[in-house]
Amino acid sequence: MADRYSFSLTTFSPSGKLVQIEYALNAVNQGVTALGIKATNGIVLATEKKSSTPLADPSSLSKISLITPNIGMVYSGMGPDYRVLVDRARKVSHTNYKRIYNEYPPTRILVQDVARVMQEATQSGGVRPYGVSLLIAGWDEGILPEEEVEQQQQGKEGEQVPIGEKKSKLAGKTGGILKGGPMLYQVDPSGSYFPWKATAIGKSAATAKTFLEKRYTEGLELEDAVHIALLTLKETIEGEMNGETIEIGIVGPPADHLLGVEGVEGAVGPRFRKLTPQEIEDYLTNL
Amino acid sequence: MPGFDFSNYNRNAALHARGMPLPKATSTGTTIVGCIFDGGVVIAADTRATSGPIVADKNCEKLHYISPNIWCAGAGTAADTEFTTAIVSSQLELHALSTGRKPRVVTCMTLLKQHLFRYQGYVGAYLVVAGVDPTGTHLFTVHAHGSTDKLPYVTMGSGSLAAMSVFETQWKPQLTRDEAVKLCADAIEAGIWNDLGSGSNVDVAVITAEKTTLMRNYLRPNERTQKLGRYVFEKGTTAVLNEKIIRKEDLSKFVTVHDLPTETGDDKMEIDV
Amino acid sequence: MSSPFSINGGACVAMVGKDCVAIACDLRLGLQALTVSNNFPKIFQYGDHVFLGLTGLATDVTTVSDLFRYKVNMYRLREERHIAPRTFANLVSSSLYERRFGPWFVSPVVAGLEPKTGKPFICGFDSIGCIDFAKDFIVSGTATDQLFGMCESLWEPNLGPDELFETISQALLNAVDRDALSGWGAHVYIIEKDKVTKRLLKGRQD
Repeated sequence: MADRYSFSLTTFSPSGKLVQIEYALNAVNQGVTALGIKATNGIVLATEKKSSTPLADPSSLSKISLITPNIGMVYSGMGPDYRVLVDRARKVSHTNYKRIYNEYPPTRILVQDVARVMQEATQSGGVRPYGVSLLIAGWDEGILPEEEVEQQQQGKEGEQVPIGEKKSKLAGKTGGILKGGPMLYQVDPSGSYFPWKATAIGKSAATAKTFLEKRYTEGLELEDAVHIALLTLKETIEGEMNGETIEIGIVGPPADHLLGVEGVEGAVGPRFRKLTPQEIEDYLTNL
Repeated sequence: MPGFDFSNYNRNAALHARGMPLPKATSTGTTIVGCIFDGGVVIAADTRATSGPIVADKNCEKLHYISPNIWCAGAGTAADTEFTTAIVSSQLELHALSTGRKPRVVTCMTLLKQHLFRYQGYVGAYLVVAGVDPTGTHLFTVHAHGSTDKLPYVTMGSGSLAAMSVFETQWKPQLTRDEAVKLCADAIEAGIWNDLGSGSNVDVAVITAEKTTLMRNYLRPNERTQKLGRYVFEKGTTAVLNEKIIRKEDLSKFVTVHDLPTETGDDKMEIDV
Repeated sequence: MSSPFSINGGACVAMVGKDCVAIACDLRLGLQALTVSNNFPKIFQYGDHVFLGLTGLATDVTTVSDLFRYKVNMYRLREERHIAPRTFANLVSSSLYERRFGPWFVSPVVAGLEPKTGKPFICGFDSIGCIDFAKDFIVSGTATDQLFGMCESLWEPNLGPDELFETISQALLNAVDRDALSGWGAHVYIIEKDKVTKRLLKGRQD
């Protein structure tokens, strides 16, 4: 053994680092860029579908996945590790939540469950950390009474705030388990997770984040967010941009036409869906 | 499947051995039926739930969602039909997500019979499974011990004989959608009138390749008549020894969550690694 | 011939009103014909607007009420919010069904107001977790038969909080007076959007 401290994958180095986690982050930072933007009425997830050879069939590849009807996920890093996490995320959303409460988990609860899976891989014997960072986007129903949410927002507006900041304060109130609304999280190989308004992960994350910081405004609508997502992707993309090479997932209004049933009381369509290549092409032509 | 918790079993068995009767579970005495037509399948059920001779629920739901294109009608122990269909629905949803295909009726039927066979009839779910998938229209019955049947028209539950008499006299091949709905509703009504375990209303679900239409309370032949008298007591009728009013302000808040105002100007996007 | 459900006796009832719900229980704890206590409440609070009534075997009533206190506290810590009555009802249901082959001898009743809409919510369960979603009233306990009769005749839609109190109280008191195993006073909760009123009723002590 060249390095004394690499005998176990889950042992601290003398400087207090877990090098395996840093290596995993290196794997993420070599991955294809993925990004997410939260709007007032939804979220967009976007990434590039990169194939190393023109002979590959890109239609069979899928990097953005539905976890629950209101939650979607994208990654940067190692594809195989991601698929394991997608399966686990879907499974725990049922076993830890739906089979108990007969409803799907709120975004933060799912994020915590996935983060726990990733953390366990940094402290267990015989395993390595997952080589992916995730962006998890979802919509929560919320439990506060509708008028109370409005009151809170109006209260915010009523405060003595300079005109310019008024809108930003209001928009900052979306999301969360109590009020309901869109939530966007990043989960890292260490198992730590952060909520974002907009972020990017992967190879060109720094460039993309600088671009997003410039473009992001409070009170963004979903349509604008998709637009900004494509513009950001354009900054960082290596290949050609078209419906086949770009993948976009959106959390938007309930898609009742995807429900497949009618006459069921209280049934609401899924909010998360992936855009078809045709829809992406349409957005690209309007760019 | 996580499985059951048997930690009360020995205590309850000991009580039972000393002559205590087992708890009576809500049972759906029930008439349930299913019938294939040209282009889809119809299932229907009554809406009475009983606990012994008592009508526990006058308008319960016995048509269970499995997936958009597969539905189940349940008879037997109400909790078992409810949870068996829910667990299979959950398994099928995960299966559909990981395979990227629509769930199939045979898959559903197989999961159900494997689950029920494992519990040797002790999970008392008697089910009519119906659906349309890429391989066609299907209609099955599943019994609590795990046996299954595949037939063009089926009935189950305590009202199955009454319902079957309707099918055996009126069924014909190549029914239209409306004929099938009428036939199923008639069969359920036969159960409602002639079987004491069945009653109240008729629920119908029509499944086609395009969509499923649930018609909750398709027929309501037992509407409660308006009460002629009112029995509202005058305020102060009941003798109260003590009264305690808890207002919203005093309501206990075990955890309160406050949003802190966002820092002015530049919102921090960086995080320390 | 004594079933575990009728050793200790007890009755519980929940009713829907206009923008309010009521839940009430008797206070008796008995050992067959011997009354041990006239202060054994069977209603438990799990949130601002979430109440659970438990009748059946008293030892299981205590154990199950504690179990749900634990589960609801864990939910609140994990999710940083109060549990909604419908969510709680599903938790009760799945927890009871987990013990399908070794059940708790209890017949729970849930009553509350939906936090988002303020709509009334009530439901009842059998001992293995089958939910009975009712739009009018739910009854449980040894006076079930009597309560069904009382509620079926006294209850009507859109009762205000005061009317609902009289209706549920009279339904319960008159039902338990025809049941030897329950009675000995009663608790009644009237749950409204911004207040909960708990009343102790004067009942027969025989």
